[in-house]
Amino acid sequence: MKYKYLFIMGLSFGLMIPGQSQNSGSNNDTEDTLNLGEVSVNAIGTLFNVSKSGHSVSSVAGKKLVSSGESGVIQALSGKASNVSITKNSGDPGSGAFIQIRGQNTISGSNQPLIIIDGIAMSNSSFGQGTDGVVQQSRLNDLNPSDIASITVLKGAAAAAIWGTAPANGVIVITTKKGSKSGMNIEFSSTLSFDMVNKEYEKQGIYGQGNAGKWVANAPGSWGDKISNRRGGLDSLRTTANKFVADDGSVYYPILAKRDQTVFNKTNRDQVFRTGQTWINNISISSGNARSNMYFSASDWNQKGVLNGTSDYHRTTGRLNFNHMLNDKLSLSMRSFLSKSTSNRIQQGSNLDGLYLGYLRTAPDFDNTDYSGTYYNAVGVATFNSHRGYRRYLGDIQPSYNNPGWTLNKQTNTSDVTRVTVTPEIKYQWKPNSLFTVRTGYDVSTDHRITYFPVLSGGSQANGSFTDDFIQETVLNFHAINQSNFENLLGNNGINLHTTLGYIYTKRSLMEIGGTASQFIIKNQDRFAFINATSTNQNPFNSNQLLLTNQVYGMLDLDIKDKYFLQVSSASEASSTYANRFLTTGASLAYEFTKDIGQSEFLNNGKLRFSAGQIGVAPPAYIWNTNYVGAGSSSGWGETLDGTQFGGTYARSSVQGNPDIRPEQKTEFELGTDLKMLKNKLSLGITYYTNEITGIVLAVDVAPSSGYSSQWKNAASMTNKGVEIDMNLNLVATKDLNLNLYGNLSSNKNNVTDLSGTNSVFLAGFTGTSSRVVKDHAMGVFWGGMYEKNEGKLVLDANGFPQAAVEEGVSGDPNAKYRASIGMNGNYKELTFNMLFETSQGNQMWGGTSGVLNYFGISPETATEVTLSQADADKVVDYSGKKVSALGVKDASGNYTVRGSLKDFGKGDVLLNQAWYQSLGGGFGPVNEDFINDASWVRLRELSLSYKLPRSICDLFHIPSASVGFTGRNLLLWTPFKGVDPELNLTGVSNGRGLDYFTNPGTKSYMFNIKFNL
Amino acid sequence: MKKISILVTIGFALLVGVTSCKKEINDINKTNPNQFSGADASLMLTGAQLANVMLNEGESARTAGIFCGYFKGADRQYLSYSDYSMTAGDFNSGWSTAYINGLAQCRIIRAAAAKSNNKVLMAVSSITEAHLLLTLSGLWGDIPNTQACTDGINEPKYDKMSDVHKYCIDLLDSSMGKASGNVLSVAYAGSFKWDEVANTLKARALLRMKNYAGAAAAAAKGIKKGGDMYANHTTESPGAWNIFYDFLDYNRGGYLGCDGSFIAPMLDTAAKTLAMSRNNSKTTETGRFYNYFYNGKYSYTNLDPNFFDGIFTPTSNYTLVSHAENELILAECNQRLGNSVAALVNLNNVRADLNATYGTYMPYDIADFGPGALIKGATASEAMLKEICCEKYVSLFGQIETYCDVRRSGNIVGITPYKGASLPARFLYPQQEINSNKNTPKGFGLFDALELFK
Repeated sequence: MKYKYLFIMGLSFGLMIPGQSQNSGSNNDTEDTLNLGEVSVNAIGTLFNVSKSGHSVSSVAGKKLVSSGESGVIQALSGKASNVSITKNSGDPGSGAFIQIRGQNTISGSNQPLIIIDGIAMSNSSFGQGTDGVVQQSRLNDLNPSDIASITVLKGAAAAAIWGTAPANGVIVITTKKGSKSGMNIEFSSTLSFDMVNKEYEKQGIYGQGNAGKWVANAPGSWGDKISNRRGGLDSLRTTANKFVADDGSVYYPILAKRDQTVFNKTNRDQVFRTGQTWINNISISSGNARSNMYFSASDWNQKGVLNGTSDYHRTTGRLNFNHMLNDKLSLSMRSFLSKSTSNRIQQGSNLDGLYLGYLRTAPDFDNTDYSGTYYNAVGVATFNSHRGYRRYLGDIQPSYNNPGWTLNKQTNTSDVTRVTVTPEIKYQWKPNSLFTVRTGYDVSTDHRITYFPVLSGGSQANGSFTDDFIQETVLNFHAINQSNFENLLGNNGINLHTTLGYIYTKRSLMEIGGTASQFIIKNQDRFAFINATSTNQNPFNSNQLLLTNQVYGMLDLDIKDKYFLQVSSASEASSTYANRFLTTGASLAYEFTKDIGQSEFLNNGKLRFSAGQIGVAPPAYIWNTNYVGAGSSSGWGETLDGTQFGGTYARSSVQGNPDIRPEQKTEFELGTDLKMLKNKLSLGITYYTNEITGIVLAVDVAPSSGYSSQWKNAASMTNKGVEIDMNLNLVATKDLNLNLYGNLSSNKNNVTDLSGTNSVFLAGFTGTSSRVVKDHAMGVFWGGMYEKNEGKLVLDANGFPQAAVEEGVSGDPNAKYRASIGMNGNYKELTFNMLFETSQGNQMWGGTSGVLNYFGISPETATEVTLSQADADKVVDYSGKKVSALGVKDASGNYTVRGSLKDFGKGDVLLNQAWYQSLGGGFGPVNEDFINDASWVRLRELSLSYKLPRSICDLFHIPSASVGFTGRNLLLWTPFKGVDPELNLTGVSNGRGLDYFTNPGTKSYMFNIKFNL
Repeated sequence: MKKISILVTIGFALLVGVTSCKKEINDINKTNPNQFSGADASLMLTGAQLANVMLNEGESARTAGIFCGYFKGADRQYLSYSDYSMTAGDFNSGWSTAYINGLAQCRIIRAAAAKSNNKVLMAVSSITEAHLLLTLSGLWGDIPNTQACTDGINEPKYDKMSDVHKYCIDLLDSSMGKASGNVLSVAYAGSFKWDEVANTLKARALLRMKNYAGAAAAAAKGIKKGGDMYANHTTESPGAWNIFYDFLDYNRGGYLGCDGSFIAPMLDTAAKTLAMSRNNSKTTETGRFYNYFYNGKYSYTNLDPNFFDGIFTPTSNYTLVSHAENELILAECNQRLGNSVAALVNLNNVRADLNATYGTYMPYDIADFGPGALIKGATASEAMLKEICCEKYVSLFGQIETYCDVRRSGNIVGITPYKGASLPARFLYPQQEINSNKNTPKGFGLFDALELFK
């Protein structure tokens, strides 16, 4: 190890000595309009020439982000760079997204990339999303996409080695706009967007609420009578006793006999969804002269979501970027940004107070319209603010599940985010060939969240609950860089050297404070106040976390005869979360071989590149010791015994600490080529990479009988390998018409090679089905109950039905085999267009919702009928062993008709009906493999058109230029997966993937835009 | 040049600063600001007792209750439980609570108490430990004990069920006479005495080992009338209240019912004509029926375990070890040892208590048992043994120990399985344990009998 430090120190000395060359250092900065593809921005925020780079680089220009119509910068990257997959958490306005570059790289840590904005590490956190609750934002949502000049994605380890243990999941380098160097430009744009749900579940409308073929009031399932067999007309009611009077005056009485044949699926659907609307306004002013320039912008994003009621997202941002050259040598810049967003979110997931759970389970013959009103008991005593739902149609007590109207209108889940980032920077050209830069970034965000369930909300919230949660995150970043240029290093031989020496200090702190109040005292007034609960029902909470890291790094760029380009970089990192300094290294070599073999008509320019890097992943904070925590016990269904209710009691933590924890180590090799062919019309980039991550830090599950549930260890190893292809083909280039075909293709294969003997590690999900890490499988595979099999064949019970195996196992894989996108852009005269298709193939998803809708008899497949002859009806049985002849209705010709469908598992036909779906065949049964389904998709990600108005019209309004445009986002989706856009994930940015369980739906948008300059 | 040297100096200062402050950086990670580095053993006892409560009153009690006919799964995952269609993953919770939150803490407490020579703390944590192990072993049979919860041993070996029981008996013996009254029992309620509880637990263990004389001797020193030990649920708040209540109404309304259970018709006066009915000329079970079961405005199923105004309300203390159990252990042992007269006295003691609580439970005579008598059976002693077992089955409604009785006695009560021909004979080894402990016994299904219950 020691020689490595000597190497670093030696490098440091070398780099500090100024050279003799008279050429200036790279003092050029990012311009408003980058000629992307030629130059890009590297991990320390300076420009570099892509054609001389030994690693693969994907860049996206800022205007392409805006045209995608996404509120989040990251979501807008979807499909635009190879091997960068973006998964939105849900279609809720402002919801965060999961970014994955080249597969997963760690297990218990974050798999999200490092975000560098203007040379400074910034926050991309998302806090608190599990299998229930609301979808949270990510801090990247705070940015205004219009402010961004470019985004560069650095995928490989070598490109980012100087950031030490931060960049293992890749780096996204964001550069914001600068002012123009001459004159003033004012640009205003306004966009109106209409959003719709892009995929919905089908519900059956044939059988009513009830059980075993009979209508039963308040029953959870729709296993009741056939609605069309009812007598028709109004239900028979008892109007003399208790009743429910809705807020609009409608009266509901106890039903004595169900006669009504109306199916309310459409009414109930329309209660939940609407056309969302977003109005986006953006103004920017860019101005400057030879010495100074400034860029100012203000934006307002005001969105009402596709879910009826309170769902919204409102973000206002302001930015001022300012540069000034004090003299020939010294320049200053200041970039400052303010963002304020408020939103109201809708409860989702495994959650009796969630939207989809109550909506989708609602029986087809129940009308959800009236959800709130007054219940009068038999002697006329009123209960105000009563809650009516299909599980309690009179609202006499709170329903087991919320009426969706209640979820949408009565519950409050607000988030109020304030984000401020400032980045001051000084550059000093202290020698003609040496530039010294000092830059500080301060990024502070606060998120104030309120969660409120009024009294009589469903499930366990009958007596109301309120949570007030305040989260503050700060990232302080200090970055000092010296860059020197040495041209013609050894005489006039065409060897140029560029050296960089830098120091980075990062301090990340996270503070959360809040409390809950439950079992409200005053039940009929909504107050966000703890005082509405007794002291035993008030629970405060807080937590703090501090992380420090610093890196000293050096980087050498060697340009040999403008043909060979070598880059070597290394950093030594110290971090608060592990004991010894950690060394990362990266090296890359590019060879422009067309300089040797010569250019041809076919091949205009060709480059081979190779890179290798070794970087790390820092372990989480505070895992050195086995701590003592508040004692309590729970048993998995929500019931708990909380030690604070018993005078306070402590226990040794179930997680065993480890003081010897080391950073995880990621080693990556990358080989690629960049080609320009056919008179530069076709550009093609191909990259193959392979990496191995060893010593992955994991709270390894241990046998409970050891006294711990898990132990922190450098326990696991995994590998990723894959191929990335990016291409662009210019089809037509004339004065009036320009057409480009572009696209990318990528695949990544992840394999967990070692788990230190543990069978599997839980990532996210439920007891029954989870996304896990399992040895010899890709990370995130589905885990759950299986059918018992013997040499691949189902083991059937006496009735011919399969059985549950005793042990659980791997039942599917949420990772795509490959992803691709293909698009076309261009312009005809003043008309510009872009169309982008994207696909993901081979990824599976757990259809938890579908499984449960089978259980409840809601999915159409449960609402079929079969008719059997007497002989067959005496033979075919259901899961409980009952014969069709005992279950069905006999008609005149002696045939039996019964609800259900026939299936042959291997011993002849059996009947799949309520008995089957409410046991093994449904989502609550012990077997999940039936619900792991292909979730491949193809979508029209983006379709945009814009037209630059002719001079004559602009003159009419005395404006220099103007354009109008249309963007369609996510307009078309093809997928075999049922009910929901498979791009979503229930557990948000957690490392567990591919879970669907009453997740709020995804959306598509139609956007109309007008833009003009002043 | 001057400026250059300043910059170079700054650069070096930075380098030196960075490389030398590693230790300082590390210091911030040594102490977790959100957790503690240690806790006094006496502060840990309640937590261990709460784990014992969770094991005996939580998911394991519900599952055992389904297996022995007390409850029936009525909704979602619980429907499969009633079909005995369960996987190893369904048994994680009780096991891990017992080991991680219970046994591991008990052993830390015991070691610390030994060090400080705190005999009372040692005795009370020993009784908690024995209680935990007896419940665990009664459900799973062979379990890790001697190597369990030992730092450095990640994969403890399994001890035989009979050895675990012997260990518990020794542990209970060692605690006798050390803790007066019911000191150190925040998680528990009732004016019990530790020595009596220890003796009843010991009688439980010996009865399972079919050592009737030993069990009778221990029970003779066991819980007296009014000395029951309960789980403490006097605070009406989530996190403190009755766990059955929490499950039945607060968190999982409608999952668990008694409609179609084996026990309901035993008590239901409407089912008086059934052979299984306990209602007879000397007995009216109506009061007990309504204490156990509920069917009213807040019902989820046709017959709920009574979370509304009976045995499982939010503030109902849950019975852990009782005088009724102790008296019926004595009754069974006396009867099995051939002393019917003494057994009848024990049985009538229980009936006298019931008479005071619920209504009519007139004392039985010897002549009430036998062919053609009030309590029928092939012989008088067979009839009396069955009546004792049935009374215990009904008296200990909701408790795990009856599931042990049912298997030990070869189902004298005569419970009809919900599916197939036999009742589940064990809990499956939990998936979490299988995943990480190679010593976990393999090849056992739900219907393979435990060592002591063969």
